[in-house]
Amino acid sequence: MAKVSLRRLSKRFPSASAPAVDAVDLDVAHGEFMVLLGPSGCGKSTTLRMIAGLESITAGELAIDGQRVNDVPAKDRDIAMVFQSYALYPHMTVFDNLAFGLRRRNFRSTEIERRVRDVADTLGLSALLARKPYALSGGQRQRVALGRAIVRDPKVFLFDEPLSNLDAALRVGMRGELIKLHHRLGATMIYVTHDQVEAMTMGDRICIMNGGKVVQIGGPLDVYRDPVDTFVAGFLGSPPTNLLPGKFDADRLVIGDNGLPIERRDVPENVIFGIRPEDVTIGGDGAHARGEVLAVEPLGAETIVRFRLSGVVQDVLVRGPRTVAARVGESVPLTFDLRSAHLFDPATLHRIV
Amino acid sequence: MGRLLRSRPFEPATARSFPTQMLKRVALFAIVALYTAFAAGPFVWVATMSVRTTSEISLDHYAWPAKWHWEKFAQAWFNSNYNVYFENSLLVVASAVAVLTVVGSMAAHCFARYRFPANRVLYFVIFSTIIFPPQITIIALFQILVQYGLYDSLVGLALVYVAVQLPLTVYVLESFFARIPGDLFDAARIDGYSEWLIFWKVSLPIALPAIATAVILNTILLWNEFLYAVVLITDESRRTLPLGIQRFMGDQLEDVGMIATGLMIAIVPVVLIYMFFSEKLIQGMTAGAVK
Repeated sequence: MAKVSLRRLSKRFPSASAPAVDAVDLDVAHGEFMVLLGPSGCGKSTTLRMIAGLESITAGELAIDGQRVNDVPAKDRDIAMVFQSYALYPHMTVFDNLAFGLRRRNFRSTEIERRVRDVADTLGLSALLARKPYALSGGQRQRVALGRAIVRDPKVFLFDEPLSNLDAALRVGMRGELIKLHHRLGATMIYVTHDQVEAMTMGDRICIMNGGKVVQIGGPLDVYRDPVDTFVAGFLGSPPTNLLPGKFDADRLVIGDNGLPIERRDVPENVIFGIRPEDVTIGGDGAHARGEVLAVEPLGAETIVRFRLSGVVQDVLVRGPRTVAARVGESVPLTFDLRSAHLFDPATLHRIV
Repeated sequence: MGRLLRSRPFEPATARSFPTQMLKRVALFAIVALYTAFAAGPFVWVATMSVRTTSEISLDHYAWPAKWHWEKFAQAWFNSNYNVYFENSLLVVASAVAVLTVVGSMAAHCFARYRFPANRVLYFVIFSTIIFPPQITIIALFQILVQYGLYDSLVGLALVYVAVQLPLTVYVLESFFARIPGDLFDAARIDGYSEWLIFWKVSLPIALPAIATAVILNTILLWNEFLYAVVLITDESRRTLPLGIQRFMGDQLEDVGMIATGLMIAIVPVVLIYMFFSEKLIQGMTAGAVK
């Protein structure tokens, strides 16, 4: 267990014009599961690699348990990392893969044996200890990679998109196991992913990054409900938040040819109106707008309906119940849950309300 | 190809296709037979000569041995100094190949793994020395060895062999080392290993097929090397096998029978090393063997 703090941590690669990681501030508490989430190229993996000691730090400070570790080599930071590619040593058996790190740290061979068997038992690898990685399935390799981290009993676990090479069914299974593992070990874990479902389900907190900067840090539901800007609103959720340009006119917010009864309070005249697909109801009495159905996507448990509002360029996506009787081309009344809606400043893209 | 031929009879052959199929097979067989004769013929010829005496050979160059003179091998080994030549060759080639393999794979590891200024420039400089034919450098080499007191010594010859073969060795190994995924090195770093240990415990074992390829190439090339040896070695007791064999080519008389026996002795290690490493060699040449 350990806490990890990043103070204005930056990384600039020699050939790049913009920094890959730009003054990141982040505190990961004892035993916390922190997810770094963002689109590819947002600097999340580079941040993780700096914490691991695999990438040098250009500026800022990195501390583990209050100790500055900027210049401490990876091997002395007492961290373990699980890679997307698993990075199993192809010439070693599963046993040796698990024992490799322990051997270096001068554990007695009986202790190594005990630890490896323990971890193999928990991960269901006992029957595979004599195999080489090429004779394992993707899921088994993933377990070995995980076991190699656990067996060391490190201060901090780092995960770099560990589930992205697995097929969908296995991924859901491993997600559950990782959550259980975190509860059992109570260890500090930092987990990089671009998959928001992983982030939402696994993270105690999520740190959303974009363009090398931290955009928002918070609990999964907090960042989902209260995005700080249009990036977070548009990135989280599937489908994401509908973002529509609007303009205040007296006591109405005019969006295209539709007026919403929203009072203007200390906000600019022009705003971006954001509403989640599940906060729009098809039909209803106080219909705020009418939309023409463009497409209906039944997903089984729910139905995603794509609408065009008159006078609005952007399509509006609505998450409806399993049974939506909307036909393409039909015009349908829509009701917005205005208490859950957000307004963003079109200049700064930050949330105003 | 054996499988191809064997599988034919089980296929239903129509009356029309049978003669053309047959013809194709005969043609193919003829080509293969011709190539085999071309490649193996001289070898068999030398092999028969190795158990015939020179006088027998001069009577009929191509005759099958009437009496098998196996004693010629013992004679060559003990009386004609082949044991000394063999030992010298073994010493020079084994030490040169050992140094080449270790230094070459270390260099390849660095070129493939580390970002440092002038990485590509250095790599190109080393590799570009391949284009110089040995005749250009040999006089300079001769003078350097004389100045360092290494002329006419096995150590000097071994060092020259290392220098001559290093660029190609680095080239062969670098392309393989570069294909080892970088995550493996990161994982080993986090597992607590230093760069030095990572080379020995991760890079080297994974690159074994490529290293085997380099070992075979270098061994065969250096085992047969003549030009550098003939310029840099003069003393009888320090001759390598190719020089020893050449000793039987006099101005007036060539002891052809003894030369053939010497050649057969010289071939043994090459055949052995092929047998030992061939599986790895094939892996090395065909492999993206890492995954």
